Amino acid sequence: MSAGDGDGGGRIDRLRDSMVALTEASAGERFLIAFAALALSILVGTGIILVSGFIATCRTPVLTLGGQTLCYDPVLVFDRLFLGALGDPLSGGWSPLNPQFAVTLRETTVLVFTGLSVALAFRAGIFNIGTQGQLVVGALASALAVLWVAPLLSGVVGTVVLIPFGLFVGAVGGGLYGAIPGALKAYADANEVITTIMLNFVASLVALYLINAYFGDPDSAANQTVPLPDYATFPTVLFDPRLDFSLLALLVAFVFVGGVYYLLEHTPFGYDIRTSGLQPEAAEYGGIDSARTVVASLTLSGALGGIGGAVYVLMVLGNFQTGIPSYGFDGITVSILAGNHPIGAVFAAFLFGVLKSGSSVVDFATDVPPQLVGVLRGLIILFVAMPEFFRMAGRRLASPGDGETPAPAGGADDD
Amino acid sequence: MTEEMGGLADRFGGLSGRTVIAIVAVFALAGLGVVSVVAPGSDAAALFGIIASKSALSSTLRLAAPIVFAALGGIFAEKSGVINIGLEGLLIISAFAAVYGTDVTGSLWAGFLVGVVSSTLLAAVFAVVCIEFRADQIIAGLAVWLIALGLAPFTSQVIYNGPNTASVQSFSTITVPVLAEIPVFGALFDATPAVYLMFLAVAVCWYTLNRTSFGRWVRAAGENPKALDTAGVTVSRVRYAAVLLSGVLSGMGGASLAFNIGQFTGNGPTMVNGKGFIAIVAYLFGNYNPIGAMLSTFLFAGLDAIQIRLQTVGVFAVPDSLIRTIPFVTVIVVLALVGKTRIPEAAGDHYESGED
Repeated sequence: MSAGDGDGGGRIDRLRDSMVALTEASAGERFLIAFAALALSILVGTGIILVSGFIATCRTPVLTLGGQTLCYDPVLVFDRLFLGALGDPLSGGWSPLNPQFAVTLRETTVLVFTGLSVALAFRAGIFNIGTQGQLVVGALASALAVLWVAPLLSGVVGTVVLIPFGLFVGAVGGGLYGAIPGALKAYADANEVITTIMLNFVASLVALYLINAYFGDPDSAANQTVPLPDYATFPTVLFDPRLDFSLLALLVAFVFVGGVYYLLEHTPFGYDIRTSGLQPEAAEYGGIDSARTVVASLTLSGALGGIGGAVYVLMVLGNFQTGIPSYGFDGITVSILAGNHPIGAVFAAFLFGVLKSGSSVVDFATDVPPQLVGVLRGLIILFVAMPEFFRMAGRRLASPGDGETPAPAGGADDD
Repeated sequence: MTEEMGGLADRFGGLSGRTVIAIVAVFALAGLGVVSVVAPGSDAAALFGIIASKSALSSTLRLAAPIVFAALGGIFAEKSGVINIGLEGLLIISAFAAVYGTDVTGSLWAGFLVGVVSSTLLAAVFAVVCIEFRADQIIAGLAVWLIALGLAPFTSQVIYNGPNTASVQSFSTITVPVLAEIPVFGALFDATPAVYLMFLAVAVCWYTLNRTSFGRWVRAAGENPKALDTAGVTVSRVRYAAVLLSGVLSGMGGASLAFNIGQFTGNGPTMVNGKGFIAIVAYLFGNYNPIGAMLSTFLFAGLDAIQIRLQTVGVFAVPDSLIRTIPFVTVIVVLALVGKTRIPEAAGDHYESGED
């Protein structure tokens, strides 16, 4: 009758095996697989660019082959995507403060939070696909609360009080929204993959309603709130204030990376989370309250997503607007690429920051649609999900002609 | 029955979640009917008028068809032991490809076929990744969704210079004489080809799963792959067939969706807008039975039809964006009431044949 009865394990129980594989793989192997997945995604992406380049019609083709015209140049695309995002470090006179690099770091900052959010839940054995919705709720809550309190304060005091306040409200908003699927999973056995995806839709629709009905800027045709006062947004350090990037926010992100790492590795609660993720039966047997751990980890995961939303509002937007970019979904890729490790998430978030920032450079420099990055995001997840492919390829490379039968690597049903 | 326990309904009522939801739905409808007789001028009467109309049933069927096709596909895949959470992606890619195919060939049915082929190809990639390379099925399914979510608007941008395609033909209704005149239920005989195909597909899938040897193999591949292997049937081949079938069926769903309006719209979550995930809940709620999946889809699609109608009629002063949350909230409530479903024993597991 109770949860976790003898039905041979629910669908999520099954997944724990593979999550163990994901998190337990050695750091070196994890890095190699992430790198190989990225390289393979670029290869497939090149194929997609070539095919679509022949389909598309344009005035100035880069190549003409037997009457067929190629509109896109894949080399240029990836050159713009990666080097463009960094602000062309190879072309001389490069400064780390260049505008495009600031955009890259700005995207990285938000992605660190969404990546951490997904990773924390993953470590507890929970698929939080709802970081996007939690981010929207956190962003909205943070913007509204700061707008409400801001008139009482001003100047430096305003900044010092309002930024932590905004982040806190974002965390509470996202955390409460994350607690819903947590409670539904813990006490009603509702699969969190589905509930979190549904709650994403609900979050954006409710946000749209609230902005339309109550909190919209009456002077604006767009669905947005009035702008926050300048003293309520992240102050820029070193970088040009017009670039909407604050080193301070990136620093806050790093603090949270350290915090999540410490929480997972060095606290009793982190131990509960990891044990529940790796061996739920053992965790239960060892006295861990699994329902409580599920709710707590999804709440914390939601809170991290909510802070991501608050940072997006307080650093990038300067108000709340509907139609927030899909940082939550990118967070899934960031986390999976990082093997759900908080410190790995920094590197994966930077890579994704490059991709997101680079996509605008690609859009400017070529005719290739910016949705290309969305395709790459999916491909990277797909390839990271199949480490066996790379192991088989590796074995074949190591001993040519002998790669016919891969040794069953555990989990096989034979005897 | 004991193995299906765990939902909220069980904890509080001792009834199975499915029964509770069915009872609530029937009583709500009956209640509204009574009120509309007693107080013909009330809001409730107006609501009943909207629900119990031929046009509501007709749009329910139209909205249900894509979800039912995807759910049928999901049943085959999951019954065979491969959880296909990427149905959403298969719907997206086939909705786009069907419109493109029609735009190029000028034929609606040729476009339909292009949609089915594209979805099947993507399902084949998913199958190889899961079966051959032993990828985690949930993560690979999410990847299928995200790839399609990027690829369809990308291709649309390449060809049509925008995330939305050009408009092509849409399905026109086929009217059965005389039967279409029946009040309310006449909608069943005055529908698009997709709706007739949906009923046909449900019947064929039910028969295939329950009355053919292929259906037995699919169920065995998911429940007890070793026994199937011992009986001399290759487990991975059955799983490949089932996953490809989920691609074919989802492709029919995506094409049906696109031909409801004759266009693919690719902004945000695209025109598919969660229908693939709703399909998953529909077959879980329907306990992997094609007919059950269809009936639970009617519940979701019916609510969707009502909310669309409410937006245009404006009986209640509820804003659009809140009304649009109804189907999503219903899915969550249903899932919470049903709780943990009994999934096939070996779903999610890789199977390695001993003879290899």
